[in-house]
Amino acid sequence: MRYTRPADVDGVTAALADGDAVVVGGGTMVVPEMTHGRVRPSAVVDLAKAGLAGIARDGDGWVIGAMTTYTELARSNVPLLATAARGITGGPQIRNRGTVGGSASYANPSSDVPAVLVALGARMRLARRGGAREVPAAEFFAGAFRTAREPDEVLTAITVPDTAAAPGYVKFKLVEGSWPIVTAAALAGPTIRVVLGGAAAAPVVVELERASWRARLRSEVDRLLTEPWDDVLAPGHYRARIAPVIAARAVAGALEEA
Amino acid sequence: MKLTVNGVEHEIDVDPRTLLVHAIREQVGLTGTHVGCLTGDCGACTVVVDGQTTKSCSVLALSAEGSAVETIESLADGDDLHPVQQAFWDEFGFQCGFCLPGMLLTAKELVESTPDPTDDDILRAIDGNLCRCTGYNTIVAAVRKAARS
Ligand SMILES: Cc1cc2nc3c(=O)[nH]c(=O)nc-3n(C[C@H](O)[C@H](O)[C@H](O)COP(=O)(O)OP(=O)(O)OC[C@H]3O[C@@H](n4cnc5c(N)ncnc54)[C@H](O)[C@@H]3O)c2cc1C
Repeated sequence: MRYTRPADVDGVTAALADGDAVVVGGGTMVVPEMTHGRVRPSAVVDLAKAGLAGIARDGDGWVIGAMTTYTELARSNVPLLATAARGITGGPQIRNRGTVGGSASYANPSSDVPAVLVALGARMRLARRGGAREVPAAEFFAGAFRTAREPDEVLTAITVPDTAAAPGYVKFKLVEGSWPIVTAAALAGPTIRVVLGGAAAAPVVVELERASWRARLRSEVDRLLTEPWDDVLAPGHYRARIAPVIAARAVAGALEEA
Repeated sequence: MKLTVNGVEHEIDVDPRTLLVHAIREQVGLTGTHVGCLTGDCGACTVVVDGQTTKSCSVLALSAEGSAVETIESLADGDDLHPVQQAFWDEFGFQCGFCLPGMLLTAKELVESTPDPTDDDILRAIDGNLCRCTGYNTIVAAVRKAARS
């Protein structure tokens, strides 16, 4: 296995150009997968020194480097994302090392970051040799463990526009140390948007009117959640059952702040 | 590669797939850092990399080149225990000792960053360190005591 640790994004995209190298971000998922033989790369590209960490303000929004850790996010004021980062399990060791870009790229349905990014209307910045593009988070998350990223691309940053809407975040799990079973990220402004994570293979967006949200929520979730996600944490029918409840809690939480 | 552990630079030969925990134990020869699950769950392999606790089973050794790594061996000064170690000793904060290196480094990070931690702070901090002996009560008591000393 070939190992490289480029000093900038150009070095990363050059190393990825052949399309057979695996990216290592914080390594918290991919390194154990290599240890257990589930991933067998011929080459890895370590992002540790590529200058992709950190949170900056840009005009009317945030630019969050792909290598920004949960610990850094938890200390920030980025709505929803800071709250979700504080609730990541695995201990400070995982929050110190796990990155927002790694979680997004991994795209495990039972995780916190994807639904939060969709709720925020985030955009994903991808770079490849000789080019760059931006993909809305809602399109980036293509399915379970699947994203719009091509093998020769690296996620460099995530941009999050400012919002005046009030945030609410609820994560449901049955054991303290568990990954989330269902999450709901709500933003309550003139209208209400609540995005479910863990409920289906990719985040599910529910749009509601302020006046009628309580009456409409359950039927909207039932209508949109046709194929609930099923994994070792919980069966699909269970997730379908709790999803509207978790969504309602997140919206109620957001409205209290409004 | 060059690996700096507890302030000493070591020149070691590693396969690119070698994990930091294996480099520390087998190449550097410091066996206080334990190998537990190799999935990032148990916390027995916790070390400090550039000032932050990290699970060394989830880091490639090559990734730590140029970083300052601290292990459990850096805590005691000869026979003088570090205050966090003394608190675990006084409160019976361990039985078999397998999780202890990770518990101690995690506890040290907490008490250094949070002067007066609540029990909730303590439970949250050791969220990524599994102990199968104590039931955690004596560990929480030890961390509380360590924070006071
Ligand atoms: C004990 C434990 C508890 C956890 N608890 C939670 C939890 O409560 N909630 C939750 O959501 N998650 C949880 N996680 C998962 C956590 O979100 C991920 O471990 C972390 O965010 C992944 O980031 P990383 O940088 O370590 O990714 P890596 O392991 O480095 O990479 C993950 C995947 O993404 C790819 N990748 C990484 N960065 C990039 C990039 N910039 N561009 C392109 N591809 C990239 C890699 O090739 C790999 O396929 C937990 C993990 C552990 C071990």
